[in-house]
Amino acid sequence: MIFISVIFALLLLSGTNNFLPAQSVDMLFKAAGTPVNPKVQISWNRYYTNDGLYEISRQLAAAHPDLIKLESIGKSYEGREIWLLTVTNHSNKPHMDKPGFWIDGNIHANEIQGSEIALYTAWYLAENYGDNAFVTQLMDEKVFYIAPTINPDGRENYMFEPNTVSTPRSGTIPLDDDGDGEVAEDGFDDLNGDGHITQMRRRNPMGQFVECPEDPRRLIPARPGEFGDFDLLGFEGIDRDGDGRINEDGVGRYDPNRDWGWNWQPDHIQRGAYHYPFALPENRAVRDFVMAHPNIAGAQTYHNTGGMILRGPGTREDAGLYTREDIRVYDAIGELGDRLLPGYRYMILYEDLYTVYGGQIDWFHFSRGIYTYTNELFTNYMYFYEQYQNREESQKAPYFFDKYLLFEDAFVPWEPFDHPQFGEIEIGGFKKNFGRIHPGFMLETDAHRNMAFTLYHAYHTPQLEITEVSVTDLGGGLREVIAVVANTRLTPTHAGIDLRHNIERPNYISLEGGEVLAGMLVHNRDLNVVEEQKVNPSTVEVRNIPGMGYVTVKWIVEGGRQITVHVDSPKGGKLSRQAR
Amino acid sequence: MMTKRLLAFCMVFVCLAVTNVFAGASYRDHQQLTQKLRGLADKHPDLISLQTLGKTVGGKDIWLLSIGAGDITKKPAIAMVGGVSGDHLLGTEIALGFAERLALGVGQQDVRALLDSVTFYIVPDVSPDARAQFFAPLRYERFGNANPSDLDRDGRIGEDPYDDLNGDGLITLMRIKDPTGKWIKHPDDERVMVKANMEKGERGQYLVFSEGVDNDKDGQFNEDGEEGIFFNKNFTFDYPVFDRGAGEHPVSEIETRAIADFLFGAKNVFAVVSFGPANNLTHPLSFSERNASGRIITGWLEHDATINRMVSHTYHMHVQSKGSSAVSGSPGDFFQWAYFHYGRFSFSTPGWWVPPAGDDGKPAENAEVNFLRWAEKENIPDVFVPWTRVDHPDFPGQEAEVGGIAPFVMKNPPEQIIAGIADNHYGFLMHLAAMRPRLDIVNVKTEQLGRNLFRISVDIANTGAMPATSQLGQRVRWVQKPVVRLELDRRQELISGRTIDIIQELQGHSSTERSWLVRGGGTVTLRAGSESAGFKQIEIKL
Repeated sequence: MIFISVIFALLLLSGTNNFLPAQSVDMLFKAAGTPVNPKVQISWNRYYTNDGLYEISRQLAAAHPDLIKLESIGKSYEGREIWLLTVTNHSNKPHMDKPGFWIDGNIHANEIQGSEIALYTAWYLAENYGDNAFVTQLMDEKVFYIAPTINPDGRENYMFEPNTVSTPRSGTIPLDDDGDGEVAEDGFDDLNGDGHITQMRRRNPMGQFVECPEDPRRLIPARPGEFGDFDLLGFEGIDRDGDGRINEDGVGRYDPNRDWGWNWQPDHIQRGAYHYPFALPENRAVRDFVMAHPNIAGAQTYHNTGGMILRGPGTREDAGLYTREDIRVYDAIGELGDRLLPGYRYMILYEDLYTVYGGQIDWFHFSRGIYTYTNELFTNYMYFYEQYQNREESQKAPYFFDKYLLFEDAFVPWEPFDHPQFGEIEIGGFKKNFGRIHPGFMLETDAHRNMAFTLYHAYHTPQLEITEVSVTDLGGGLREVIAVVANTRLTPTHAGIDLRHNIERPNYISLEGGEVLAGMLVHNRDLNVVEEQKVNPSTVEVRNIPGMGYVTVKWIVEGGRQITVHVDSPKGGKLSRQAR
Repeated sequence: MMTKRLLAFCMVFVCLAVTNVFAGASYRDHQQLTQKLRGLADKHPDLISLQTLGKTVGGKDIWLLSIGAGDITKKPAIAMVGGVSGDHLLGTEIALGFAERLALGVGQQDVRALLDSVTFYIVPDVSPDARAQFFAPLRYERFGNANPSDLDRDGRIGEDPYDDLNGDGLITLMRIKDPTGKWIKHPDDERVMVKANMEKGERGQYLVFSEGVDNDKDGQFNEDGEEGIFFNKNFTFDYPVFDRGAGEHPVSEIETRAIADFLFGAKNVFAVVSFGPANNLTHPLSFSERNASGRIITGWLEHDATINRMVSHTYHMHVQSKGSSAVSGSPGDFFQWAYFHYGRFSFSTPGWWVPPAGDDGKPAENAEVNFLRWAEKENIPDVFVPWTRVDHPDFPGQEAEVGGIAPFVMKNPPEQIIAGIADNHYGFLMHLAAMRPRLDIVNVKTEQLGRNLFRISVDIANTGAMPATSQLGQRVRWVQKPVVRLELDRRQELISGRTIDIIQELQGHSSTERSWLVRGGGTVTLRAGSESAGFKQIEIKL
C-alpha cells in the first residue's frame, strides 16, 4: 500500500500523464501481442485500491482523449463514485450509434481481480489502437462500456479491513445477520493485527486434527481410531456479544448478485437477496446506464473463482426461454472460450453450478436481451497445470505452490495467542490475497486470456452492412427499390426473449429520396413472398436481423431522385447507403 | 376466539364513531386529502404526525400519517394502505376515514390508552397520479402513475390514448355493428354487451372496444395512453414480467419503492391492511399443502391460514359483506407481497360490493346486469351513458355507438354510503388492534439452590390473539422475532442458559419457558420482546 502511494506521489510531483516515465525505445524489444511502449505504463502484477483504479482510469482517459472517456455513473452506499470508461474510436461515430459491449468486475467485494482485468482491457484496446488491425477495427466498429468495480465499498473493505479470502462478499450496508435485533455487532477480530483473518487452532490431546507430515503448516484430520493434536476453532475472532457464537454478524451481509430484476426472490428463498430488486445503489447505477444504452448487445461480468465461463439461466424454470438461436450463439462463443482459457470450462449456471434467482446475468439476458457471460476467474488448475481428482490433492497443491513458487509469502505462520475465551491458541493460515485472486505473476496472463475471450464476444455483436440498394424502373413514374441488410456476425439484433416480449423496438430500415407508396418485408425474393407494412411504409420495421443472416426490404416509390437507405438498429447501430 | 369483553370493547369504538359528523362524506381529491391530513396532524401534534414518503412523477406526495403515543416505533403496528388500485377511491376514503374517526376519539380514555400500546401507520393513497383521473376533465379508470411508459412495448410512448368521442368527459365503451364482431347485447339487459357464446350457437354482431380512435393505426385501441406503471402490478411476488403496466422490473417505481422502504424500516408492523381488489376478509384464504411447500411458496402456511379465519370472523362482526366474493390476489400485487415477501399478516378488502339485485335475493348472473338493476332499485343517477351514434374515423360508414356503464361506479359506492362503510371498517380495525400480539413475562420463579446459586425460570407469554410473527415470518430475515436478554452485573456469573435468545415461534395466547442458573446476589434484568409484539422488562431479585 505504501509503495503504491509513493508512486502516486511521484506522479503528482512529476506532472506527467504516465504511470511511470516511459522508457526510451532503444531499450525495448517488442514481445508479440503486447504494446512495447504504452503511453500509460501499468504493472499488471498487483492489485489496485479504489484510488489506484481511478488513477489508472484518469491517466488512460488523459493519454487517449479520442479513445477513452471517463465518467461516474452513480455513487455507492458509502458515497464512492462508480467509474465507467467509454472505450471506442470517439471520432468516427457517436458511440450510441455503435453496437455496445458492457464489462464489469468486482460485484462481489472479495472478487477483486475482475477490476484489473476490465482495466487491462481498456488499456490494451487504447494502447493498440492504430497498431493492431483487429483492435483498430473493433474500436472503429464497437463501443466498450467498462466499469472496473461496481462494488467500491466492498473493495475498500476487503483491502483495508481484516478479512478472509472469502469476505466480504457483500457491500457494506450494515444488517442484522443473526436476528438478535443488533446490527453488525460481532464481526471478525484481527487478533494478531496483521490485516488478515486467518484460522485459530488449539492444542488438544483429544483433538481432531494433526499436522500434515509433508507440510506441517497444514492440518489434516486425524486417522480413524486416533486422536489428533489440534482442534480448529474457526476464523480469528471473539464472541463480542456473548451469544455463544463467533463472527456471526459482521459487514453486510447480503449478496449484490441476488439483487437484479429478473426472477428475483426474497432472502428466505434466495439467500442474500436484499429488500427488492435494485435495492442497492451500485446496481441501480448499472441498471440506469444499461437502460439508457440500448445499443449494448453483449456483456461480460468478472467474478472469482473456479475457472468457469458461465452463461444463464440461473434457474431451471427459465431454461425454456433460451431459443435454439440463442444457444447457438452462446455455445459458439463459450466453446471458443474453453480453448482460449486453459483450465476454464464453459458451463450453464443453474445446471452446472447452482440456482441463482435475481442474478445479474439473467437480468442482462432476459430483461434486456443482452448476451452475457460471467467468468469465474482463477482456478487451482493454474498452480501446476493439472486437474485435481480428489480433495486431498487439491488441498495440498496451494501449500506446495506457496512454498516453492511464492516462498511462503501467502501464509501467516502459526503463532501463539492468548485468547480471552479460548485461552492459549495459535493463529495462522493463508492470507486473504491467496486462493481466490491470482498470485501477482499470473495476473497479466489471465487478464489477457479473459480479455481475448471477451473481445471475441464483442466482435460478434451484430455488425450490419447494407449490401445492396437496387432501383428498378417500373414505368408509369414508379420505381421499385430493394435493399438487403446483412448481419455479418454471430449475434442477432434481437435475442429470443427480445422477440418474444418486444424488449427493444424493431430495426428501422427507411428510404429517403422519393414518395413511398408501399413498403414491405421480403420473405422470399425469388418467389415474391412479401409482407406489406401498411402504416408508415417508408420506414419498414424489421423485428430481427439474424446472426450471419440478412433481410430484404422493398419499396414502391413515386418520383424523387437520389435514393438513400438508412438502417437504425438499437443493437446493430446506424448506417446508410445510397443507391448507385 | 373472541371474548365477549373484547367484543364489547370494540363495539364502544363503533358507537362513538356513529355520529353524523361524517355524513356528508365525498370522494376527496389529492388537495383535499392533503388538507385533511395536515389538519389532523396540526390538531394532535402529540399523537399524529404527517410525513411524505416521496413525490410521484406527477408531483404528488405519498402521505404517511403515523398515529400513536410515545416511541411509536417500539409498539405493535397496523399499516393501512389505500389507493392500491388507482380506480378504487373508496380505499383512500376508508383509510382516511379511519384516521378521522380515531382523531375524533383521542379524548376518550379507552382510545388514548390504546394509543399507548398500538401504532397506526396510514398511507391513504399510494396511487395519487392515477386516482387524480377521477377528478380530471376526462374521467377514466386509471391504474398507472405519471411515469411515461411504453405500455404496448412498441418503442413509442403514449401514442394511442383514449379519445372522448361523445364529449361527455367520460371514457366508456364503443360498439360497432360488424359481421366480424364477437359481442352481442345481453338478453336480460340490452345495454350490457357480452361475448357471444359459441357453445349456445350464438353469433357475434358487434365489435367492442374502449372509447377512442386507433391513433397509431396499429389495429389496437387506446393501448398506450398517458398512464404509466400500475402500483398493484409492480411488486416482487408472482411479478407479471413484461405485462402491461408492470414496469421493467418489480419495485421500479417511486410509489412502490417508497412503501416498501417505509415498511421494511417499520419493524413494528404485525399486520398490513390494504384496501383494494383482493379480498381475504369476507372469504379467508384456504390452506393448501401443495402451495404452502416447495422452495417458492404460493399459499399461506397452515397456522397463518387459521389466523386469517380468525380475523375474517372478526371482519364479519363489523362489515356488511353481501355480494362479496373471494379474491386471492393478482400477479405482482401489494396484498400478496405483504404476506409472502414482507412476511407480515396481510389482509385486504375492497370494502364494498354491489349488493345482489336478482329477484330471489341472489345476484344476477352477469355482474353488470346486476349492478344496473341495483342502481335502478336504489335510484342512483348517472351510472350509465346511453348508447349514442358517433361518426368513427376508423369505421367509416359503419354503425358506431358510444355508451356503457360510467367509469368508477361499480367499485366505488354512491357518496352517501361512504361514511357508513368507513364507520364499519373503523370498528374492524380497532378490533384488530385489540387482537395485537402482546408480549409479557409471567410466572417468574427464583429458586435458591444453595450457596448463592439461583435458578431463574420464567414464561415468555403472548397474551394477544395474534402470534408474535406469522408462521411464514419465522423464516423471513426482515421480520424481527422476540429476543430475550438477561443482563447480569459484575457480581453475578451465568452458569447455564443464554444471555441472548431468539424466540422463533410464539403463537397467540401461548407461552414458552426459559430458565437460567446464576451465581451471585443482587438483581438481574430480564428484557424480552420485539417491535411488533411489544417489549417487557423486569428486575429479578436473587
